[in-house]
Amino acid sequence: MEERKAIEVTDLVISYKNFKKTSIKKSLLQFKRQKAENFVAVKGISFYVREGEILGIIGKNGSGKSTTLNALAGIFSPDSGVIDLKGHSVSLLSIGVGFQKEMTGRENIVLSGMLLGFSEAEVKAHEEEIIRFAELGDFIDMPVRTYSSGMYSKLAFSITAILETDIMLIDEVLSVGDQRFKKKSYKKMKSLISNKDRTVVIVSHNLNTLTELCDTVMWMHDGEIKKIGPPKEVLDEYVAYMDK
Amino acid sequence: MFQKFLKDIKKYSRYAAYSAKAKLKSEVANSYLNWLWWILEPLAFMLIYTLIFGVVFNAREPYFPVFIFIGLTMWNFFNKTMLQSVRIVKNNKAIVSKVYLPKYILSLVQIGVNGFKMCVSMVIVLGMLVFYKVPVNGNALYAVPILITFVLITFGASCFLLHYGVFIEDLTNVTNIVLRLIFYLTGIFYDVMKRIPAPYNAVVGKCNPIAFLLSSMRQCVLYGKTPGRKLLLAWFVFSLLLCMLGVRKIYKNENSYVKVI
Repeated sequence: MEERKAIEVTDLVISYKNFKKTSIKKSLLQFKRQKAENFVAVKGISFYVREGEILGIIGKNGSGKSTTLNALAGIFSPDSGVIDLKGHSVSLLSIGVGFQKEMTGRENIVLSGMLLGFSEAEVKAHEEEIIRFAELGDFIDMPVRTYSSGMYSKLAFSITAILETDIMLIDEVLSVGDQRFKKKSYKKMKSLISNKDRTVVIVSHNLNTLTELCDTVMWMHDGEIKKIGPPKEVLDEYVAYMDK
Repeated sequence: MFQKFLKDIKKYSRYAAYSAKAKLKSEVANSYLNWLWWILEPLAFMLIYTLIFGVVFNAREPYFPVFIFIGLTMWNFFNKTMLQSVRIVKNNKAIVSKVYLPKYILSLVQIGVNGFKMCVSMVIVLGMLVFYKVPVNGNALYAVPILITFVLITFGASCFLLHYGVFIEDLTNVTNIVLRLIFYLTGIFYDVMKRIPAPYNAVVGKCNPIAFLLSSMRQCVLYGKTPGRKLLLAWFVFSLLLCMLGVRKIYKNENSYVKVI
C-alpha cells in the first residue's frame, strides 16, 4: 500500500528576531536603534510524518522542540520553509490549555472545541463524555478560576483526548492529575495514539514513554535534526550523548 | 486577502458569538443585581452628568438627559473597546498560544460584548424619547448608517491598537490620555458646535469622527434634522478603509505576536 504523508516539513526555519518588546520611553531615550537580536530556534529542518505514524521528538531544553510543535499547530509562522498538513485538522495538547478564567468549565469546553474546528453541536454531543472523563462533577458549572491546577489540566486533557483531531501534537502531558487519573489518561492516550488513522507527534523527555509509544524518534539538537530513526537506536545514542 | 477575511469570518463567527455570550453571562453571574447593571450603570451616569452639567453648569440643550444619554452610550462603547484592545492579545495569551485564530476575532468578541450593552442602552433611549415626548420624525432612521459607521471605525481603530499593543508596553498609558482628549473634544455633555468658538467648532465637529457621528446621532434622533450626508458617506468610506488596513496589518503580523508576549 502506498504510504500517505500526513505532515511534510521542508527547510523549516523559525527565528525570534526584531520582536523585542519596546516602550515609548525606551525608544525616546535611545537614539540608536537597538540591534535586533536574531535567535534562530529552528535551523532549516525537513522531515515528514506518515499517516498513522507516531513521531517522538527528544532533545535537551531549548533545542527547538516546542517551537517546532507550535509551528505545526499553526501558532508560529515559519520564517522560511513550508509546513504542509495536507488538510488535516490538528490540535495541540500542552500543559495548561487556554481557558477563559471567568467562564464555567462547560462554556470552556464548547469554546475550546469550536477553536479546534468543531461545530457547537459536535462539541455538545461529546460534552457529557468529556465531563465524565475529566471527573469534575458539579465543578463543571463553576468558573474555571475556582479550579485547582489538577482539575484544570484534567479538563484540558479530556477535551483534546475526546474531541479527536486527525493530528495530535502532544507537549509533555502524559502525566496529569493524581495517580489514578494518570493511569487512566495514559491508557486513553495509548488507545488514541494506537488508532491507525491518527498521526501523533509527541515531545517528551520520558525515555520509557517514547520507546513504548513511538514508531520513529527524532532527536533535535540546537535547532537541527541530529538523528531520526527507530526509537531504540536514536534513544541509545541520545542517552550516550547526554551522559557524556 | 478579502477572501481570506470572509472565509475566516465565516469560520470563526460562531465562536465569536458564543464567546461574547459566555462573557456577558460570566460578567453578571457573580454580581448581586445581575443584568440589571446593564441598565443601572448608564442611567446612574446619566443622572450624575445631568445634575452636574444641567444644574450646576446650566446647560441649555433641549432634552438634556436624552442628549447626555446618547452621548454616553456611544462613548462608552468606543472607549471600552479601545482600552480593551490594547491589551487584548496579552489577556488572551492562554488561547493565543494554544491554537490559531485570526487575532481580530478577539476584538470582534469585545465589540460583541460592548455592542450588546450599547444596544441595551439604545433601547433605554427609545424609552426616554417616549418619556420626554420628543417629536421624532423620519430622519431618525439615519441612526442606522451612523451606528454602522461608528462600529466600523471602532473595529478599524481597535485592530491597530491590538497590533501595537503587543509590541509597545506602555501603550495603555498613551491610549488613556488620548482617549481623555477625544472625550473632551467629542462633547459628551455639551454641544461641540455651540460651545467651542468658531472656527474651531467646525474643525472639531467634522474632523473628529466620533464627535461628528455623535452629534449627527443627536441631530437626527432628538431634533429631527438631516445629518451631513456627504460627510457621513466620507467617514463611512474612511472607516471601511481603516478596517481593511487594520485587518491587513494583523494578518501580516499576527503569527509573531506569540513570540513577543
